[in-house]
Amino acid sequence: MSSTEQGTSSAAPAEPTTAPESAAAPEVPESFYYVHGKDKVVHKVSAGALQHSALIHGMISNLGYTEEQAKANPFPFENIDGDILQMVVDWCNQHKGKPTPPEDTNLPKQKEKLFDLVLAVNYLEIKELLTYCCKQVAMMVKGKSPEEIREIWMIPTDAEDEAAEKEAKKRAGKEAAGETAAAAGDAK
Amino acid sequence: MPIRILSLPDKDLRYALDCMGVDVLIALSICSKRTKKLVKSSNRKIHRHIVHLDENYTCFDICESERVFQPKTDRIYFNVYYTWAVLDQGNGLEVWIKNEFTQSDWIAHFLSIFNEPTIPVLVIENVSLSYLDSVTQFIPKVRILNISERCSNGLTRKAFLKLAPIARFVQVANYSSENDISQFLSLNLRDLDFYDGENPFKVTSVDLLAVNIEDLSIEYANITERELNRFLKLWMKRNHTFYRPKSIRLTLEDEEIELNHQEVFKGVQYQTVDHKLRLKRGDGKELTFFVEEDVIVFEFT
Repeated sequence: MSSTEQGTSSAAPAEPTTAPESAAAPEVPESFYYVHGKDKVVHKVSAGALQHSALIHGMISNLGYTEEQAKANPFPFENIDGDILQMVVDWCNQHKGKPTPPEDTNLPKQKEKLFDLVLAVNYLEIKELLTYCCKQVAMMVKGKSPEEIREIWMIPTDAEDEAAEKEAKKRAGKEAAGETAAAAGDAK
Repeated sequence: MPIRILSLPDKDLRYALDCMGVDVLIALSICSKRTKKLVKSSNRKIHRHIVHLDENYTCFDICESERVFQPKTDRIYFNVYYTWAVLDQGNGLEVWIKNEFTQSDWIAHFLSIFNEPTIPVLVIENVSLSYLDSVTQFIPKVRILNISERCSNGLTRKAFLKLAPIARFVQVANYSSENDISQFLSLNLRDLDFYDGENPFKVTSVDLLAVNIEDLSIEYANITERELNRFLKLWMKRNHTFYRPKSIRLTLEDEEIELNHQEVFKGVQYQTVDHKLRLKRGDGKELTFFVEEDVIVFEFT
């Protein structure tokens, strides 16, 4: 029940494609909202599908937009890549109005995007999808040796961790010294 | 397709950890100090954690499931040799090498990541006496010490004397009845089970009086009515004498015992309470005696 428009944020979203309607569905017209990611591509999503996202659901409830207002003001998620947002929107549409099963075969398979997907889903507060993504992350290393796990999950060695910690301390020290100097300057 | 797992938001990382199998957690825990801390903080509960000590390797038998009969795939066997470790999860073997880890490091590592203050179950398999000497130096406290039936009498004796003091419960699986067990009964222990499926242990009244173990079980025991009677009489006379046991269970070979109560309680004053016979000493201490199928039970209060 969604359409994606390959346009810019300034362009008005196109009319939605007609959705297949269930014979048993009530006659109440469904409301639609619009979101876009970093790539400014606007996605039209039904309110039912957006229910999955606690963040967007909260925004909708607070704003009380009419369909026209929603069309003119797509929700901007500049911190989410366009293709990731597309995956999220697809998932929300596929699971609109139904409880998610324990094992979801519709989960996006692009593992290289998994990390960004987890961050996006975490930001959008889509609990069920986050659960699946975290499971997927855990399953990535099933049957792998510690060295392979280190590579797949980019785990730094102890030496690298120590070096990073030293660096962070050094930086914090410098910043603190800078602040002290600034405070002393202000006092003068 | 790398993914910076340590950069995930804390809640997501915790959930991902919860989704991981124990094999993955173990592998992750040895990647770095940071990942070890992370695995430890996941507070994964292990229901079966047995450490088998064999001559050339230490085997960690680990299972998360509470089920008594777990499918093979639910269990992990992690065998640690001198310079390498083998993980066997029922679907193929995997070899890991962690050169700087000794067997003692591995034991400490497993206890640490699963937040176990002591080794839950330590099974002593057929090891040499010299090897036993070396391993006892690094074994921390043990909850259940099981000296397996594969151990010789000499090894059983040595393992018992060396390791029983650091264990809460001790199980001796097959100590030949030809050997005197009285030397073990006077040790200050919480719980001791002796088992010999073939030859019953000969137990006397002197043995029973020398017991310094809170809960003792001997299976199978060979004791006569006369010795039982002597024990009861001597116990009655030992007013104001410290006697540590809370319970002693003697399993007899016969499935249904027909004890001659007259002979057992000859000259002993007792009361019958709920089908149990109760003896009361002058200092107020009580002994309750009863028979449960093939087990003679003494309870002391």
